[in-house]
Amino acid sequence: MADSKPAPARPSFAPRHTGPLTALQVIQLVLDKVGAGYRPATIDHVSAGDPLTPVTGIAVTPIASLAVLRQAAGAGQNLVITYDPGFWSSSDNLDGMEGNDLFLLKRDVIRDHHLIVFNLHDHWRDRVPDGLTQGMAQALGWAMAKEGGVFEIARTPLLVLARSLAGRFGDRTIRVVGDPRLPVRRVALALGNAAQMPTIALLNGPADMVLAGYCREWEAVEYVQDMVASGSKKAMILLGEIVSAAPGMKACAEWLKTVTEIPVAYVEAAPGYWS
Amino acid sequence: MHGNTWNRRGAIAAAGAVFAAPGTGLAAPAPTVRDVLERMRGQTGAAWFDGGVDHIVAGSADAPVIGIATVMMATFDALKSAVAHRLNFVITHEPTFWSHPDHVEQLQDDPLYRRKLAYIGEHGLTIFHLHDHWHGKKPVDGINVGMMRKMGWQPYMDAQNNRIFNLPPTTLTSLVDRFRRTLGDRTLRVIGDPALAVRRVIASWGNCSSFPGIPYLDLADVLVIGEAQDWDLIAYANDLVAARRPKALVLLGHVLSEQWGMEYCADWLKTFVPEVPVRFLPIVQPYWNPADPVFEIDTKI
Repeated sequence: MADSKPAPARPSFAPRHTGPLTALQVIQLVLDKVGAGYRPATIDHVSAGDPLTPVTGIAVTPIASLAVLRQAAGAGQNLVITYDPGFWSSSDNLDGMEGNDLFLLKRDVIRDHHLIVFNLHDHWRDRVPDGLTQGMAQALGWAMAKEGGVFEIARTPLLVLARSLAGRFGDRTIRVVGDPRLPVRRVALALGNAAQMPTIALLNGPADMVLAGYCREWEAVEYVQDMVASGSKKAMILLGEIVSAAPGMKACAEWLKTVTEIPVAYVEAAPGYWS
Repeated sequence: MHGNTWNRRGAIAAAGAVFAAPGTGLAAPAPTVRDVLERMRGQTGAAWFDGGVDHIVAGSADAPVIGIATVMMATFDALKSAVAHRLNFVITHEPTFWSHPDHVEQLQDDPLYRRKLAYIGEHGLTIFHLHDHWHGKKPVDGINVGMMRKMGWQPYMDAQNNRIFNLPPTTLTSLVDRFRRTLGDRTLRVIGDPALAVRRVIASWGNCSSFPGIPYLDLADVLVIGEAQDWDLIAYANDLVAARRPKALVLLGHVLSEQWGMEYCADWLKTFVPEVPVRFLPIVQPYWNPADPVFEIDTKI
């Protein structure tokens, strides 16, 4: 049988999205656009909330702390995109939290305000260049490193650089390993968690100094001490995890504005320390 | 201060591996590393166990012991200090090669690994990692004994839980000042209201994760630890404070939070290794802060 009518481009009964995007759709959009390759394993996940909730606004933050969740809820930003977990372990492991008062309080803030928390950690780092590194370079006005991930800066004594970073980020608990007079010209970044081997490799590269977030004292911190004690001209500055991730997540908020028309805001997370 | 005494004994020891046993006037043969370890096994008040991280990291069980250094962490600086004091058996609480189990497979081509290993070999050092068994000492964790001794907290130890200290009423600020002064801590960090009323402190010296840290915070006003990850127990403490719970977390830094536990270790060793000098060598804390820069990184004892 011949039928000369062309098939319609789209069956009239096909579902078409008309309402506001759900959290799941926004997350899908983020993962599609972020520019990270496929990962066989990741800690990125929806850690709380119903992903089918329509998104009213997006809050981007280094860590989904209670204060951040309250602030986002108050501002009507119900999708919280966070670098670090909201439930006190890398994988938001809730074993042992049964009946925990603080867990219940945080859960209720999330429920009452229909929040959805999405951990965007690995995929933001997998971006090329790494989202945290790029954000930090922008914040410090450093030209992105060309080779080997090393930033060339104007020659600055370590103490002067540490003071300037502490001032720039309002970091009250910055910690430094190395000779305060060491002239620093080449800096490598190990933002967030500065794990043992990648950090040791950076220290053995051309960098005079590694700018890190958090680092275990019995791993790369001991390694830098040993380099210094054996005559190498090396140093490390620990900003703290939150301070080190903040510029990169601020950059993430700016990037998200180019991806969606949903309102996006960066929400500061206070590291909370005094000394 | 006591350097002359120790140096003299070290010099005698170095001159020949024969020692005058105190009080006997008789020459006692130098114990080997193996002898010292065997004595240690019988003195912790707990069964010695396999597994864990305690092992000879470098050197030999057969090495004659000239003198023993106990250190918090076998940093290069600590090893140089041991050599300067002629102490060839280093007992360290924390790793030598920059990971908890001292894994070295990935370090075979690492220049610093080779340099440190060569230094250990050239000076005939043997290094034993004493972590798990020292924490497992009965009736009280050896690190905890040394730290409470340093803080003067023995009278305040809770009868039911030896990690808890029932202090005379104080505030968080005063408690922190006490730590800063007593331990010489220039980079401690605190989460909590400075005016917080403090009576009960729970100590988990060294590293402390969300577990057991979260249940510990239920047991006292303040949890004091060495270090934790910012996204783990520290994030929990921040949330507790944001929720207006009257709690605080004090982070001393790993080295300063445990190192006097190794001073106690030296005192313990002296009770059953009388033939050779035993000395605790404190190390410098790794960090400085921009308000208080430190230009001298070497341990000076």
